[in-house]
Amino acid sequence: MPSYELALMLKAMPKPELKTTLTRISHAIFNRGGIIRNIENLGFRAMPYKTSSHSLVHREANYFVFKIDTATQAVADLKEEYSRDVDIIRQRVYKIPDKADQTCTLEQELLPPAYREEVQKMIELGKSQVNRFTYKFKYNSGLDYYPFQK
Amino acid sequence: MALLKTFTIRSVFSGTHRAIISSLRSYSSTPVVAEEDDAPVEIENPYKKEKPQCILCKLNITPDYKNYRLLSQFQSPYTGRIYGRHITGLCKAKQALVESEIRKAQNCAYLPYYYKDKAFLKDPRLFDPENPIRSHRF
Repeated sequence: MPSYELALMLKAMPKPELKTTLTRISHAIFNRGGIIRNIENLGFRAMPYKTSSHSLVHREANYFVFKIDTATQAVADLKEEYSRDVDIIRQRVYKIPDKADQTCTLEQELLPPAYREEVQKMIELGKSQVNRFTYKFKYNSGLDYYPFQK
Repeated sequence: MALLKTFTIRSVFSGTHRAIISSLRSYSSTPVVAEEDDAPVEIENPYKKEKPQCILCKLNITPDYKNYRLLSQFQSPYTGRIYGRHITGLCKAKQALVESEIRKAQNCAYLPYYYKDKAFLKDPRLFDPENPIRSHRF
């Protein structure tokens, strides 16, 4: 099962109700055979922009991030279920990216253009193509008429 | 007596050594190179410049959409626009990652689209937008 991050914005509500909402959200995951690795509470704060959902305008939200492992097919199902939940203002699901251990290529990027590999590739590509600025039609093409509009 | 003996031996030996070397020089085209302590040794270039690295690679930071305070440092305080690679001085991979994470954060309502959070305006500047590496288009 791949790992996902479920970023949820819940509407402003008192603590006991928030608790029941979180349990409801969690049970939806468990019912589809998923597991929760971690729940992060990013706090209750003002949203950077007002958001309307379920015919209510929200300017503040409880921010939560669930780290879950679930089947890929279940994700769309979960999203659909959460979209019907009136306590959820907004929800986003992101796949946790793989750890890519790459080295910094800034040194090559700061070289003068002629020494950069991508520029050299472009020059090679340009050589293999017809330059339409300097190309001149040759009249010895075997045709007894000029094929283009004059 | 013993001192005198060693002295004479030394003088004789040094004399013969010189003679040997001179004979070698005169007769053979390839002189035998003696291993000496002060011979030049192979070392790495001590004047080689340090490899330039972007600030995120140097500090080994992977930008994350939840760390929106860091991401907001790559945004213009006036328009919320993401600064380009010629201003931020990041390597290509990190710049692409920063841009995608800012988009994610904006989508998750962690970051505003058209301005920068007032609380983050006095954060330390990682780069100077007025002095880009390559000149602006505008």
